[in-house]
Amino acid sequence: MKKQFTAFWKRNLALANLAVVTNLEYRFNFIIDAFVQPILSVGIELLLWIAIFKTVDATGLIGGFGRDSYLAYAVWAPFLGRIAISWMYEAMMVEEVVSGSINTILTRPLSFFEYYMSQTIGYKVITTMFSMCVPLGASYFFKLPVFYDRLPAAFLLVIYYLFLVHTMSFIVATLGFYLTRVRSFTLLKNLSLMLLGGELVPIDLMPKNLSELLLNLPFSSGVYVPLAFITGRGDWELLYKGFFNVTWGLAIAGVVSYILWKRGVREYTGTGA
Amino acid sequence: MKYTIEAKNLGRVYKTYTKKEGIINSLKGFYNRQYTEKVALKNANLNIEAGKIVGLVGSNGAGKTTLLKILSGLIYPSSGTATVLGYEPWKRDNDFLKQISILLGQKNQLWWDITPRDSYSLLTKIYDLNETKAKKRVDDLAQLLQCTSVLNTQLRRLSLGERMKMEIIGSLLHEPKVLFLDEPTIGLDIVAQNSIRNFLETYVKEFQPAIILTSHYMDDIAQLADQLLLISQGEIVYDGDVEHFMQKTDLKKKLIYRLKNSTEEKEIVFNSQQLTQVLSDLSKAGEVADLKVEEVDFEEAIHRFLEAESGAR
Repeated sequence: MKKQFTAFWKRNLALANLAVVTNLEYRFNFIIDAFVQPILSVGIELLLWIAIFKTVDATGLIGGFGRDSYLAYAVWAPFLGRIAISWMYEAMMVEEVVSGSINTILTRPLSFFEYYMSQTIGYKVITTMFSMCVPLGASYFFKLPVFYDRLPAAFLLVIYYLFLVHTMSFIVATLGFYLTRVRSFTLLKNLSLMLLGGELVPIDLMPKNLSELLLNLPFSSGVYVPLAFITGRGDWELLYKGFFNVTWGLAIAGVVSYILWKRGVREYTGTGA
Repeated sequence: MKYTIEAKNLGRVYKTYTKKEGIINSLKGFYNRQYTEKVALKNANLNIEAGKIVGLVGSNGAGKTTLLKILSGLIYPSSGTATVLGYEPWKRDNDFLKQISILLGQKNQLWWDITPRDSYSLLTKIYDLNETKAKKRVDDLAQLLQCTSVLNTQLRRLSLGERMKMEIIGSLLHEPKVLFLDEPTIGLDIVAQNSIRNFLETYVKEFQPAIILTSHYMDDIAQLADQLLLISQGEIVYDGDVEHFMQKTDLKKKLIYRLKNSTEEKEIVFNSQQLTQVLSDLSKAGEVADLKVEEVDFEEAIHRFLEAESGAR
């Protein structure tokens, strides 16, 4: 048992390491993904919130929060959003199934889920290490309202949420066993997650019923909940609820992915869709 | 006798979507898809012992790769049973996967962006091997294949022949008891083909794995295989001796060449024994810019062989 556990960790650390090595090989792609895209998103969001706050009433508050609170949200949301979403690895997983290159994984003693999970985590960790210096630096320089001591707990939730994101990517990839083109599902899923997760608009600004619904779904745990927690819009209770929501989300997504996978490999022809 | 690989009445049917041409039929197909069934493999029976190389020969689409895919656990059969090392392959038990290897000649199985050494290090962890022993094994295999110098070069920067050697080392790293080789010499030049053949011959003598080898090059089969399986339209039509097949069959080859200052490719079909004469004639025809030798249609050769066999009975 102990031997199996050690082998599991060795294998997964090696796969995470593979993701780091491979991605650092493509420097421009890495820089664009880790810095350029989120910085552009931050720029757009900052301009938007600065413009909105020019028209605000005398209280200077929107939804009970001031300009700096929204700027902090705008600075952090795209960076957390980059961690809590999977474009590249989901595309690779889909490609593996659709093209048949998954054969290499199916004939080795490791699971497709595990293979990409470890790589996703490895990639996200290395991206986060580099890219987080931007929101951290901006928050410190502009004295934005950020509870720095809450960052570790918030990041823990984002990493936990990443398991759910990966399970959803796994579901999309398994659709490749049944359908020839599934890339549009990635686009649809990720845009939905950006909206439902609060990356585009803070969930507490949405109509009450909708925001309550979204806070009871696991998707808010990717961006809104950790961000509300570190910027003071929410407290520990919100964070715990985030962990709880991700847990039941994982349970449901796990069952769905298991069924789709089991049926998919039965249908699989070994040459892709 | 206990066989390493056993299959009984193994079959596989693929379902494919068919559509007639034209936009109207595309619209019809949008809501009412028509599927047809294609039998890729039917009633395949085979028994393979450890330490044997079995050549699996047939034309394109005959069912060779389907059989390999079922036996390696990649796909489920539609009917029949099979065991490899006592396991049902398609259940993909980890203990089973640790004892087999499949090498698909036209697909990369190592990682494209890293060096083969890094890939082997990763495989060492995936297969949970002893790191010191695995490193030694890589060095030994690389020496045998004469490719030690490229172990630290990124895979994507290697030639096709070097890549294939790297793939072979990767597939043998965990000392598999069963090896499935699907066209391992495809696209390689004659020197690389020979090098791989010689290596496999030495390797099997030393480590005694059971190997199923498919190849479009009859030379691969003639040099390496102990047993021959001929497959035609999804059925195993002959299970027997390689030498017997080679003696009874007039396997023709095709020499495709292009003369200097010409864009047209020409071909000469000849018997294996006539190669020297064909080359001599060709050299008189003009300066040759490019040439390759290919096997002529297997299906026809198999058909002729089976006809001769039934006539002999």
